[in-house]
Amino acid sequence: MLASSVFYSIGGNMKKLYVVIVAVLAHLMFISSASAQPTNSNQLSDPRVRQALCMAIDMKTIGETLFEDQIIMADSLLPNGPMKSPNLPDYSYNPEKARQLLAEANWDSNRELDMVFYYGDQLTADFMAAIQAYFADVGVKMSYRLLQGDVGAQLNSVPDDGVNGPAAVDYDLGYGARAAIAMQEYYNTFKTGLNPQTPGDPKMDALIEKINSSADPEVLKPAFFEIQEYQMEQVNICPLYYQKLFIYESNKVDRNGGAYGNAQYNYNWGITDWNVSGGTLQTNTGPVEFFEQPWYNLGLWIHNKVVFDRLLVADGALQPVGCSACESYELAADGLSLTFKLKDGLTFHDGNDVTVEDVAWSIRTAMKAPQMHALIGNTVGSIKGADAFKDGSTDDVSGIKYNIADRVITLELTKIDPNILTTFTQFAILPKHLLGDVDPLKFQQSDFWQMPIGSGAFKITEVKMNDFAKFEPFDGYHGGKAGFDIIAYPSYDGDGNLIKNAAAGKMDYGFTKNVADVAALDAMDNMGTKAVDIPYTRMMWIMQYPKP
Amino acid sequence: MAKSSLDKKFDQIRKREEEKTFSTKKRSRIVNKFLNNRLAVLGLIIFTIIILASIFAPLLSPYDPMRVDLRSMRQPPSFDHWFGTDSTGRDVFTRVLFGGRVSIFIGLGSAILSAVVGIAVGCYAGYKGGWIDVIALRISEIFMSFPQIILVLLLVSITGQSLFNLMAIFILTGWGGMYRLARARMLSLREEEYVQALRSFGLSTFTICYKHMLPNALSPIMVNITLSTAMFILTEAGLSFLGLGVPLNIPTWGNILNVAQDILILQNYWWMWGPVGIVISVFVLCVNFIGDGLRDSTDPSQQG
Amino acid sequence: MLLVISFLVYSGLELSPGDAVSHMISPELASTITAEQLDAMREAYGLNQSFLTRYWIWLTSMVQGDMGYSMAGGVAISEIMVKTVPATLELSMVALFFSTILGCSLGVISALKRGSGTDNSLTVAGMAGVSIPEFFFGLVAILLFAIELKWLPVGGRLLPHYETLWDRIPNIVLPSLVLALMMTAGAMRYARSSMLDVLAREFITTARSKGMPEWRVNILHGFRVALTPVVVLIGFRLPLLIGGSTIIEQVYQWPGIGSMFIRSVRASDYPLVMTISLMYVFVVLTASLIIDVLTALIDPRVRLGKE
Repeated sequence: MLASSVFYSIGGNMKKLYVVIVAVLAHLMFISSASAQPTNSNQLSDPRVRQALCMAIDMKTIGETLFEDQIIMADSLLPNGPMKSPNLPDYSYNPEKARQLLAEANWDSNRELDMVFYYGDQLTADFMAAIQAYFADVGVKMSYRLLQGDVGAQLNSVPDDGVNGPAAVDYDLGYGARAAIAMQEYYNTFKTGLNPQTPGDPKMDALIEKINSSADPEVLKPAFFEIQEYQMEQVNICPLYYQKLFIYESNKVDRNGGAYGNAQYNYNWGITDWNVSGGTLQTNTGPVEFFEQPWYNLGLWIHNKVVFDRLLVADGALQPVGCSACESYELAADGLSLTFKLKDGLTFHDGNDVTVEDVAWSIRTAMKAPQMHALIGNTVGSIKGADAFKDGSTDDVSGIKYNIADRVITLELTKIDPNILTTFTQFAILPKHLLGDVDPLKFQQSDFWQMPIGSGAFKITEVKMNDFAKFEPFDGYHGGKAGFDIIAYPSYDGDGNLIKNAAAGKMDYGFTKNVADVAALDAMDNMGTKAVDIPYTRMMWIMQYPKP
Repeated sequence: MAKSSLDKKFDQIRKREEEKTFSTKKRSRIVNKFLNNRLAVLGLIIFTIIILASIFAPLLSPYDPMRVDLRSMRQPPSFDHWFGTDSTGRDVFTRVLFGGRVSIFIGLGSAILSAVVGIAVGCYAGYKGGWIDVIALRISEIFMSFPQIILVLLLVSITGQSLFNLMAIFILTGWGGMYRLARARMLSLREEEYVQALRSFGLSTFTICYKHMLPNALSPIMVNITLSTAMFILTEAGLSFLGLGVPLNIPTWGNILNVAQDILILQNYWWMWGPVGIVISVFVLCVNFIGDGLRDSTDPSQQG
Repeated sequence: MLLVISFLVYSGLELSPGDAVSHMISPELASTITAEQLDAMREAYGLNQSFLTRYWIWLTSMVQGDMGYSMAGGVAISEIMVKTVPATLELSMVALFFSTILGCSLGVISALKRGSGTDNSLTVAGMAGVSIPEFFFGLVAILLFAIELKWLPVGGRLLPHYETLWDRIPNIVLPSLVLALMMTAGAMRYARSSMLDVLAREFITTARSKGMPEWRVNILHGFRVALTPVVVLIGFRLPLLIGGSTIIEQVYQWPGIGSMFIRSVRASDYPLVMTISLMYVFVVLTASLIIDVLTALIDPRVRLGKE
């Protein structure tokens, strides 16, 4: 548009006049797409620009080449499934359309977009190089950089004014992911005042309210359809692809019918029935300095999965399917009260009984400990009296009632938590008699985490920190006794040594999200991989607030 | 009072000195000796070829080092792509050439700059002594009391990754060695008779220091510059292995070689790491040969 | 000196982006953690105090011999050091041993056959050894000996059921040899030039003129005199070696001080970074003090007093 180049040369009141003229012109020219114009001084607030950016990336080719055909194309934040709307707009690769939209939006071709990411691996760097090339092809300059230091603050700082900005982050585009157990988690952060990239919008707020209003899938379905369609029409993020999870196993392992599922969390994988030839299962995610407490990265580490027990158990898709440590449970019809009865005769690895007092203490501690998974945080936060307990005004939580002799514990809630049962498939019961005196704020710093004791299928018998940790089957486990030991080698930040170790026969089980690893593992005679669909969306964030 | 004939002679020498009319015939002997060292000459030739190839990279290759072509990824070497293509279909030969620009710039640039800093401070402080020397010595001691790689790691994590941060860090960690070297040479040279003689002529400190003593200290310094260049190039590669080097979007030899971390690539796609590995090693080897040749031709005590 | 350095390092860490708490939260989960939770954590770890207060607390406890606790896991740093230092020493000493033996013998051979093809090819080979990026060399060695030929393990130090010394040897072979080969060139050069130096001296000529067999001359007089300074010099390469083993530790999953340092730097684990870097400084300073004294003994013209 010619007007806007004139625009900058004119000051004072004339400026306002021109803004109006430009806006009117824009409105007349693009009447077809209702709100297709920038909402602030940042050109990225123009939906046409955002659409163009999405259409400029040939995800299909990238998927088939760089990602070795191991990804699923994404068309919205929500993973494919019953909640997926059938009426989503098509933003697949279309460079002509992208160029046309950019021309319509009068894109400033001198502007260099600043793209950030936080994965330090080669594949991500290659992916960024590819996106850069695709953008260049439609006339958009982009440079990319790896975030360092306080990544959380650099990515997620929210402006003081959640509608008008200015932005509290300094990037234009970001490459990242959202993993969720509950579908609502995908959208809740778009609420006004919570999102670092997208300005608040009353319609979005109302739609978010809707998807959180019930626990009934049939009620939620139309609400999810609506929010998906609205978001993709606005394109306030650009969905790139759905990540699969890959479980790898050596030919020494036979699951004996055990299920495969979302291995980042805890599910019923039947490990006590596995056959492992040689009697030792080697894996990674062992401790480097200490064992991480199990309420944060719920099932990431091997000890999360095997050392601790949970009240409920989930299937591979993380849907609650029944009891683990509980004998029975009952969720009230109004969803506001949940009662568990514990199995009889459960013990921790040190021989002490597991009681409902341990459960109650675990829940109370989770209210105060800072490094907490959002799922657990939400559930324990909705228990009656949680707020008073957190701020220190009471020593007890009024919504937790238990009787040790009857092995019964009841939780009363102030509001519905649609995911409360899922929470208890992931929430590890920890021993009060060993951890009761620890300051919850420094929970992770206790000596306990040098060699933790739980009530799960395996107990830790030997720890050579940073060399290996050894787990042996626990006699007292209610689910039966496994016939093999586990050796865990240390790894963190993904396992950079995975391929080396697997090639040398030092790896029998594990999981990865890195498709480069998958290609290498599949090429080995002794290893095999299995892809699992997980709710994990990789996307490009688009920062739409005006720049400060 | 008339000057003695000896005084006159000294005055003449002083005059010629000040007019800078002394020729340095001595140098040609060093050059001859250097040229007799076959390895050093070979090193110099290959060194020059690699540098020229990097400088004229755009003329030598029709490709853009950043040009992504996903449909032709990981192709083995062919007539079109001499070193094949990498995981995003970029031409490896082109990237090695362009990577050389950055890597050599970092290595040689940091070495020369740290030498300039180190020598300027070292010569003066070493000859003059006094508080300048004390302060400079203390500062250099602080930098030199870390193992090099440890200090670099620490500084990279403090400043963050960028090309210029890396060079600044290399200079910061490298000048101390040069300074020490220059200072030590000065300390032992200034006790030499010829320096005492110059001083008694009344030449200025600056002239004695940088004009008369420095050339005599130059050979170990030249050797040191070449060795530092080699070391910086290797450190750059090592840092990219640790993920703390030059950001991955800039092609450097270290960043290109880094794909060898992926065992699958190491096993199956030799052209993605082989050529660049050889180029780094050969380049560093040549630099070392040159350094060795310089050492042999300038050091009279070594008749190797 | 240590005090100044400790203050500089501490200030440097203060300037670096992010603190320990921000590193404890993974970016994927960061958006789900509220600012209040982060502040509470900072308070619990004492990170909300002023920079000088924290430095003072750290310094006073350090002086009292208390190294403090690693922030990430609350493990006593003394305990971490007890576990990692021996691993690094073990690796360095073995590498030093190999490189000394190899370097001295090759250097002497080279000197005795000065100018021959053997001498030249040894010199070239030695230089090639220091010209290859060490991680690359290490990776290729893994590919060859651990993955293709399966002669040696890919990495790690202690493995389950391998408690006896004999069973641990295979683990150290690759990393120490790779490290040693990178160091051999230096030792070889020293050995060669000091051997040449000695061979030119008068007492050797005298011994020769007395009709002593060549091999006896070399061994009895040459070696002994020539190798003394070499061995001393190699001894001082130890601190360099400890720093230099960082990358090899990383390649071979060796749980030493180098890999721990990289981890703690990345996690902004201040107490751990401080302790490890001061330990490095201490080692280097001690070594360089001894070097200074020795150089003064060798060349009396250098004045030690630094005015």
